[in-house]
Amino acid sequence: MPTRPLVIRYEDDLQLFPGLWHKAGAVLTLAVALGYPWLASERWLTVGNLGLVAIVGAAALMVLTGFAGQVSLGHAAFLALGAYTVAVLGNKWGWPFWLALPLAGAVSACVGVVIGAFALRLRGLYLAIVTLGLVFLTQHVLLAYPEVTNGLSGTSVPMYWWFRGDVGSAASVGDTWQLGPVVLGFERKLYFLFLPLAAGTVWLTKNVQRSNSGRAMMAVRDQDLAAEVLGVSTTQARLQAFGVSSFLAGIAGAMFAFQQQYITVEPPFDLNLSIQFIAMIVLGGVGSVFGAVSGALAFTFLSPLAESVGHALPLIQQLTSAQQATVLLSVVVVLVLVLEPMGLFGVWLRIRRYFQAWPFRY
Amino acid sequence: MTQLLQLSISGLALGASYALIALGFSVVYRASRLFNFAHGELLSLGAFLMTALVDVLPWWLALFAAAALTGGLAALLERTVLRRMVGRPVFTTIILTLFLGLLLRAGIVIAFGTDTRGMPTPWDAMAEVQVGNATVLLSSLVSLGATTAVLVLMHALVQRTPLGVAMRAASESQEVSLALGIPVGRVLAFTWFLAGATAAVAGIFLGMFPRSVDSNLGYVALRAFPAIIVGGLESVVGAVVAAFMLGLLEVLSQAYVNPHLGAFGHNFHAVFPYAAMILFLVLRPRGLWGEHEVRRV
Repeated sequence: MPTRPLVIRYEDDLQLFPGLWHKAGAVLTLAVALGYPWLASERWLTVGNLGLVAIVGAAALMVLTGFAGQVSLGHAAFLALGAYTVAVLGNKWGWPFWLALPLAGAVSACVGVVIGAFALRLRGLYLAIVTLGLVFLTQHVLLAYPEVTNGLSGTSVPMYWWFRGDVGSAASVGDTWQLGPVVLGFERKLYFLFLPLAAGTVWLTKNVQRSNSGRAMMAVRDQDLAAEVLGVSTTQARLQAFGVSSFLAGIAGAMFAFQQQYITVEPPFDLNLSIQFIAMIVLGGVGSVFGAVSGALAFTFLSPLAESVGHALPLIQQLTSAQQATVLLSVVVVLVLVLEPMGLFGVWLRIRRYFQAWPFRY
Repeated sequence: MTQLLQLSISGLALGASYALIALGFSVVYRASRLFNFAHGELLSLGAFLMTALVDVLPWWLALFAAAALTGGLAALLERTVLRRMVGRPVFTTIILTLFLGLLLRAGIVIAFGTDTRGMPTPWDAMAEVQVGNATVLLSSLVSLGATTAVLVLMHALVQRTPLGVAMRAASESQEVSLALGIPVGRVLAFTWFLAGATAAVAGIFLGMFPRSVDSNLGYVALRAFPAIIVGGLESVVGAVVAAFMLGLLEVLSQAYVNPHLGAFGHNFHAVFPYAAMILFLVLRPRGLWGEHEVRRV
């Protein structure tokens, strides 16, 4: 019995859902995703929204680090750029969110490509430190112009349906809609806005992964010298990875800003945020879109769980709840790294192989 | 002129602490081929241990005890967790050390609380000394002297003793060293011990008067990164020289560059080294003294 379907045609390799199980899984995921906002409580709805933001952010980092192998500690900088772009566009000019959102991605992508150009000659640790520097520089620039970003005290993030001048501020997304028996609160509306964004991101990254630009990135990751010899332009592949990744990160930052409604430069957009996204893709398994999604969801849903567990544990009771979550997640990440290098994706592969080979154990 | 001299001395004192931090990063990188992002937390652990130990021990003994304990913990980390990471991708080791750092940090908060502490000194903490026309803090001079002494000792240890030869051999090639009968495992653990101990010394001197000891002290290590990168990861000497330059750059740019930049200059000295590093790496991607690697793709 073959342990995976034999692929003999290129079209088969390109299929998004190659088997019955994949199709069933997709339908099930869709059903859960659509049912979740109606079943979850207000608190878990917020967690769900953060999970969708995390999916976009983790998929973005997966393109850069998982596919192209460029270790980046600067993810927080791109998220901050996206978040502040929508905040400034909304506050200064009253732009509607659907226009500000792609622009946030564009601004972030511009910076990403410039940094990518700087990073062309760097690899490994040097790149990690340079991108870490980008986080500090971005923080500094955002704080240095308080007349635009409102500096340390932070800025509100308005969310308009249409240009403010035309309809007035009543057209903000914040108010509740009542459509017969159906109540659409702010969080629930956000969920139905974020869900297609997250699904679109997953689809986009999946397309990147199975197209020739994605294969070029993976060739660069695995052996850049060989890739160049085989006619892959490493410059192009790296710049593409930086561009796509920072665009999506900008979108994720904008989504995060909309969800929070009020943002400051630090705490959220610091080295810890970058570390969290790295933890997500490591938890999920580096190099697969499934890994990005599962890691992002596992991380966001574990955080509130870890907080409630933390209250019960003796020594770490005295920490703040955010620190408790950090401690427990750090333990999980360290254990995963030491024991299961491929993350949740590796666990999933192991389970699948077991059942495919059943009753034999090999 | 007086101001320049005064600033240069405090810049060198800061640079000396950065040099100790950079030294720790560099020896660990040469031995284990990984960049220890948990180093900053070792530094803050050393400082906290010192504040606790001076209550029971005389100052100098407490200094040695804090350094030895921190070094021991570093060696333990290497033996239990990081030695399993040999041969794993750069990426994995970066994340692992980052998260070990977070855990250490939480441990420090649990053990010592979040209060800000002053670093006790056997001399008057605010005593000042006249050097030429300039007035400098005695603490700055002592930390400059002590860290330089540690640097010289380390240099002698690595260059002149059998243990140092073993360390250099192990960082060159672990397999050949094993074949020659060098206990590579123990040498690695000792290297980590040294890194932890120097980190503790750096933390203790960084916690003195103008600054204080709190749980954010570990972030200082992040500010030493430009020195390590510009100096070249593989070169200990390069990292140390670049660290002194970094300290000078930071203090001098705070005084002479920040005021000219208007609103943008506020705290600019904290990120200036990073900006300088990024520009520098465009010209020389392997740092000043880094191993020259011919690679064209």
